[in-house]
Amino acid sequence: MTGTALPALELDSVTAGYQRRAPVLRDVSLTVAAGESVGLLGPSGCGKSTLAKVAALLHRPYAGTVRLGGEPAGGWRHRAPRAQRTAVGVVFQQPRLAADPRLTLAALIAEPLRATGRGAQATERVAQLAQAVGLGDDLLARRPHEVSDGQLQRACVARALALRPRVLVCDEMTAMLDASTTAALVAVVEDYRQRSGAALLAVGHDRALLERWCDRTVALGAVAGPRDGTELRSVPRAPADRSAG
Amino acid sequence: MSAQLKAGPAVGAGTGRALRVRASAAVVVAVLGAVLLVPLLFPLDEQAVDMANKLQAPSLAHPFGTDDVGRDVLLRCVYGMRVSLLVGVVAALTATVIGTAVGAAAGAAGGRADRMVMRLVDVFSSVPHLLLGIFIVAMFRPGVWPVVASVGLTHWLSTARIVRAEVLSLRSRDFIDAAVSGGASRWRVAVRHLLPGVLPRAGLAAVLMVPHAIWHESALSFLGLGLPTHRASLGNMIQSARGTLLAGDWWPTLFPGLFLIVPTLAIASLAGVWRERINPRRRSELML
Amino acid sequence: MSRKSDTVRPLLRVRELSVRFGMRGGRDIAAVSDVSFDLAAGECLALVGESGCGKSVLVSALLGLLPANARTSGSALLHRPTHDGGPGPAGQDEPLDLLAADEATLARTVRGRRVGLVPQSPAAHLTPVRTVRSQLAETVRELKGLRGKELAEATRAAAGRAAFPADHLDRYPHQLSGGLAQRAATALALVGDAPLLLADEPTTGLDRDLVERTVDELRAHTGEARGLLLITHDLAAAERIADRVAVMYAGRVVEVAAAGDFFGGPGPRHPYARGLLAALPERDFTPIPGMPPELGRLPDGCAFASRCTRASAACARLPAPDGGVACHHPVTTGRPACRHREGSTV
Repeated sequence: MTGTALPALELDSVTAGYQRRAPVLRDVSLTVAAGESVGLLGPSGCGKSTLAKVAALLHRPYAGTVRLGGEPAGGWRHRAPRAQRTAVGVVFQQPRLAADPRLTLAALIAEPLRATGRGAQATERVAQLAQAVGLGDDLLARRPHEVSDGQLQRACVARALALRPRVLVCDEMTAMLDASTTAALVAVVEDYRQRSGAALLAVGHDRALLERWCDRTVALGAVAGPRDGTELRSVPRAPADRSAG
Repeated sequence: MSAQLKAGPAVGAGTGRALRVRASAAVVVAVLGAVLLVPLLFPLDEQAVDMANKLQAPSLAHPFGTDDVGRDVLLRCVYGMRVSLLVGVVAALTATVIGTAVGAAAGAAGGRADRMVMRLVDVFSSVPHLLLGIFIVAMFRPGVWPVVASVGLTHWLSTARIVRAEVLSLRSRDFIDAAVSGGASRWRVAVRHLLPGVLPRAGLAAVLMVPHAIWHESALSFLGLGLPTHRASLGNMIQSARGTLLAGDWWPTLFPGLFLIVPTLAIASLAGVWRERINPRRRSELML
Repeated sequence: MSRKSDTVRPLLRVRELSVRFGMRGGRDIAAVSDVSFDLAAGECLALVGESGCGKSVLVSALLGLLPANARTSGSALLHRPTHDGGPGPAGQDEPLDLLAADEATLARTVRGRRVGLVPQSPAAHLTPVRTVRSQLAETVRELKGLRGKELAEATRAAAGRAAFPADHLDRYPHQLSGGLAQRAATALALVGDAPLLLADEPTTGLDRDLVERTVDELRAHTGEARGLLLITHDLAAAERIADRVAVMYAGRVVEVAAAGDFFGGPGPRHPYARGLLAALPERDFTPIPGMPPELGRLPDGCAFASRCTRASAACARLPAPDGGVACHHPVTTGRPACRHREGSTV
């Protein structure tokens, strides 16, 4: 790990949830260095998706701080400065819910570019991204209901990479996908991470997958969570595993 | 591929519906054609009476007969439909615009503003809307626009509820989160992602409201609160034919009644098809 | 490992089953093509493949739930299970062709009674506004004709069989965890004692522990008398409980193999099946290049040829299934490319 630079993503004593009296996350801290990939493991209902949303500045925590590149988050959702919001790319579990059903895949991938006034570069950048995730022109012209889950998730990954985020959050990105598409999308994300030096937070419940994919995995316990406010238990990837790729 | 392919079991199920859709479309086209063309070809003097020809039974000269002051029922039906359609469409559009604006604002704002707006909608809904409509027309002199206002201002409540529910459901979808994360402004999220999702439903509500608004116009006219009595409107015609019906002269009541029922059912039937378009059952994996 | 023996008459015999969807503009989509397999009582056959390969359409075809624009050919003969090995009474032994049966027959005598469906998303399968008890009781009443006290008793028993806790019976579906919702759906599928169980992606979105528990329970329900057709994209789940594995690609079954051989030493013989297995994070974690072809635009020859490292000119011709594999260049040696799995995971 780099050590010298400020961590790309830092969650400090975050308490979050949907009812103030019963938060799903209590006092959770997590640090992801630039260029590092961290797998966040946990059973369903443990709050790992909430944590992913907090990390992407999409959900306001009740307490705690989120820092991106050392800079505290200026707000949440629309109140977050646009530069901070777009510094984190997000991929969700269910591509069907994460894609606006009215947009073609090309428009879907271009959406962040258009939303940030970079529509002029859209055509060129979409072509690059589509090639990276393996989508042909034929598929780009279709709408979500005309493609498979795997193809739609490829488009969603391309959309998350469109603004070249410094942090990528993948929330159960491959839970709906078959083995080959899973491996293909992980390869796309890893290729981007290696070239850009972005940080990766991969959230999921598949230990075998996350241990193979990430530099280290941390476990998020049951709803009660670590009350003492310590750093999440970290399990570095075994060196034997690392050589295996 | 060896044997020939058998057709699926449900292949014939759609034909009855297709017939109904075609018939409905034909009725709507015919009515639109009639209300647009007939006034150009056969001008109507609304004040004219012809007592010599009063209450003639249907014949070649007067296919729908004549009313108690000798006016041609067919011609008045077409003119009545014209007024009814105008009132129905404008009132439905008014109600839809108000309903969409209120519902979308409530759904998008959320929290306390949403609760307050929706309580207000509940309060409005607790008053029978015909009563409210009567109250509104009573404030003006009889005419087309008070009727439009009366129907339009009382019928946006259900649209507001539908639109709000739709906005709330869309707002919780991940693609809105993805748009926010991708740097979209509030305005862009509303215009590009929320509104297009809501419009088909609002449009459907508008179309479904046209027949309802036509019935309301007729009801108000029938009660003598709608259009001035000399104006050819379906409600007025049915109202003034009440006396003749008791005497056994059925045509001045029946034909305006059919003009009221058949086109409104046809519009509702077409709207039903549209509703299925918007809400398709989940396609099978392979229909992709 | 395989419990199937050729002398035993299968529960389900599918022969050259094809499904075509007629699309607007006269285009045809070849969703399922010439699929043949047998499923015996006491056996679990896992049908694996990526999403969009035609697995779910096959299930819909077997249940007679295809949309109106679908056309089918071939046969899917459902036999009555032979009790104690002896032949059933004559006349009752006629197999039913699920593809030819009319809707009334399917609704009254097949679904729930002879074929039980464990659905993909139990939360969506259960009615949200009614308690588990009332839904289960309705199914018991419908299928068993019980009333009053007997009905209440049978309902509790039905829940118990799927290990659904009795004190949760009065809850609504949204008050259940994913695992309990899955058990409630399984309990519904088991009520009619159907000899054939179809499980369509029963573990999608569940945690690994829950996946294992769910498929173990399904396997336990299969017992000696039932056959289980498990449709899944989760290879680990298939490995856990299947006796045999059928791999589907672009609407065709490209390989059928004993699960032990498929996941173990010899490994799959079809290059696609090998690629799918090698993509697992426990193995090589390398994707198969490219994407599957469109089902509306399938090539004349082998549909996998464009992604296959072993492809040659011969692959322009459709390979016929031969000894369980449909490939011109099947892998015949051991598994040189695959590492042995680390035991620590799964």
